[in-house]
Amino acid sequence: MAYDVANEAMHELAERRLRAEAPDTLILLEHPPVFTAGRRSKPEHLVWSEDEARAHGAEVHHIDRGGSFTFHGPGQLVGYPIVDLGAVPDAARYLRSLEEVVILSAADIGVELHRRDDVQTGVFHEDDKVCAIGVRLMRTRVTLHGFAINCDTDLSWFGGIVACGLADNGVTSLSELADRDVTVQEMRPIVARRLAEVFDLVYGATPATTADRFRPVAVA
Amino acid sequence: MTTIQMPQLGETIIEGTILRWLKQEGERIERDEPLFEISTDKVDTEVPSPVSGVVTKILVPEGATVAVKTDIAEIQDDDAGSPEAGTAVSAPEPGTAVSAPEAADAAPSPAAATPAPIAASAAATAPGPDRGPRSQILSPLVRRLAAEHGLDLAAIAGTGTGGRITKRDVEAAVAGSSAAPLSTAAPMNAVAVAAPALAPIPSPTVAGAGETVEPMSHIRKAIAQHMVGSLQTSARAWTMVEVNVDHLVKLRTRSKDAFSERHGVKLTYLPLITRATAEALLAFPRVNGEIRGEDLVTRRFVNMGIAVSYDQGLIVPVIRGVDAMNVPGIARAIADLAERARSHQLKPDEVSGATFTITNPGPYGSLLSLPIINQPNAGILSIDGIQKRPVVIDDAIAIRSMVYISMSWDHRIVDGELATRFLARVKQNLETWDFAEDLGV
Repeated sequence: MAYDVANEAMHELAERRLRAEAPDTLILLEHPPVFTAGRRSKPEHLVWSEDEARAHGAEVHHIDRGGSFTFHGPGQLVGYPIVDLGAVPDAARYLRSLEEVVILSAADIGVELHRRDDVQTGVFHEDDKVCAIGVRLMRTRVTLHGFAINCDTDLSWFGGIVACGLADNGVTSLSELADRDVTVQEMRPIVARRLAEVFDLVYGATPATTADRFRPVAVA
Repeated sequence: MTTIQMPQLGETIIEGTILRWLKQEGERIERDEPLFEISTDKVDTEVPSPVSGVVTKILVPEGATVAVKTDIAEIQDDDAGSPEAGTAVSAPEPGTAVSAPEAADAAPSPAAATPAPIAASAAATAPGPDRGPRSQILSPLVRRLAAEHGLDLAAIAGTGTGGRITKRDVEAAVAGSSAAPLSTAAPMNAVAVAAPALAPIPSPTVAGAGETVEPMSHIRKAIAQHMVGSLQTSARAWTMVEVNVDHLVKLRTRSKDAFSERHGVKLTYLPLITRATAEALLAFPRVNGEIRGEDLVTRRFVNMGIAVSYDQGLIVPVIRGVDAMNVPGIARAIADLAERARSHQLKPDEVSGATFTITNPGPYGSLLSLPIINQPNAGILSIDGIQKRPVVIDDAIAIRSMVYISMSWDHRIVDGELATRFLARVKQNLETWDFAEDLGV
């Protein structure tokens, strides 16, 4: 789903969550190639210029998430949990919970990943990043953006950026680590299940308004 | 004057950077409007203002990084009587100072229950600074207005961000009802009720021979006031339908073991009926609505109140957004809320915000009931006992499990045809839906 369409719909859903008009929702999808620049991005983090990136077929968007540049594209499972953290939010714990979801999901297919608390939020294998995590809060309580797990992403796209501003680090994918093709389709139900476990939530039916905005690939 | 501090967004997040001030010194800001944007090492966010007023001082400039809880700005809020008045102290109101005696954990003795001379301004104040029944920070103006009109803040629907009660909500509540609408249940750290409805008791009751006298508990009084208030507020009418639930009884018998093994809770009829009712409420939004002031409010979501009986009496926990939940989800929510109700662990915002209510006396043995509406809902559904009865099917007599489902409804909001069509829809849902698939077993 196109990035800007999803981004706008996600913000709208978060507004409705703030007004208690929608429940906590998980959105899982894939994007066509896009580089997103967070608030802490610097020009030197982009190896290609924005024009070069577009010439390669990727969009470039500057958004309200924290962090620097990252890439989304086919073969990468992107998740936007829109969750109300309550009046006394613990954002650090929420991020750790997202990391936990990804670590458990990877373990489910036999791939061992870990955090790098000293370096950055995200999920890694040794020095290489497998999953980027970037979150923003709306009105200090509802979560926006989320995580992006490289399943069988074409990793050459990451050559266009210094991913997340980490110069000496690489990226990898579940497929590389598992030495077989791990697809978004395979990981989606695993991630959904692990997220429900870690956040102690139960999935209900997708509310009609959410389903309309996020057709056809939305899962809530 | 209110001081704004750098918020703490997590236990381990110890500082934040001001990215942008969205208002400058001298500019006006409304409550819940974003005031500034911050960045921490974990997340960014915009931060809303807790009060309405004028930004008088910005103490920390854009780009600066400060520790959490550092003072960063001052706002002269609208409700402070003078610049010297601090946040916790407003213009003299006897009610404001009364926090300790109103705490719900002490059952007040009859003589001291409600000091009559200051009944009018005995503010509905929970212990702690300016916190209303849903743990929302209320402005002193809102509390004073509510106290002046003898209103229980727990019963006023909030239309501010996150359900906060605004001045307009209090005014609407004043305009909309003659009797003081009072909460169904007082949660543990509850709101004491300004009680014009209960006359001050001049002397303690003396037990006669064979009698036992105990003072009414805080919660008992709250229930009493709500019930009387409800009957005085709503134009209550009542309609009933009979539903053939034979297939549901059979479904439950064959699926209940697998269900409880899979989902960890027992399968009762209540989640099935709740699901069927939620759909009907979305199809007939008036029945899911309420009156505010002179307006009719309807919504596209359902927060279902489920009446639970427990040692203190009656409490109505709320399942928010039940329209988006499936049967296992609803079953788990009901089991969780009921258990925490009985162990006195519900939070204030779990017993408020219902858009409709269901009561289920059936398991205790009733055939038919005439429930009292849980204000400010438009209706309350009663599910009574399921019984095998002889019924006529295709001109022959058959034995089927049947149940009477009835609804007390407010004729100010809903009329007979709508109420009946709504109940017919609930009946149709229960009789025709294939619940087997939804059970997830």
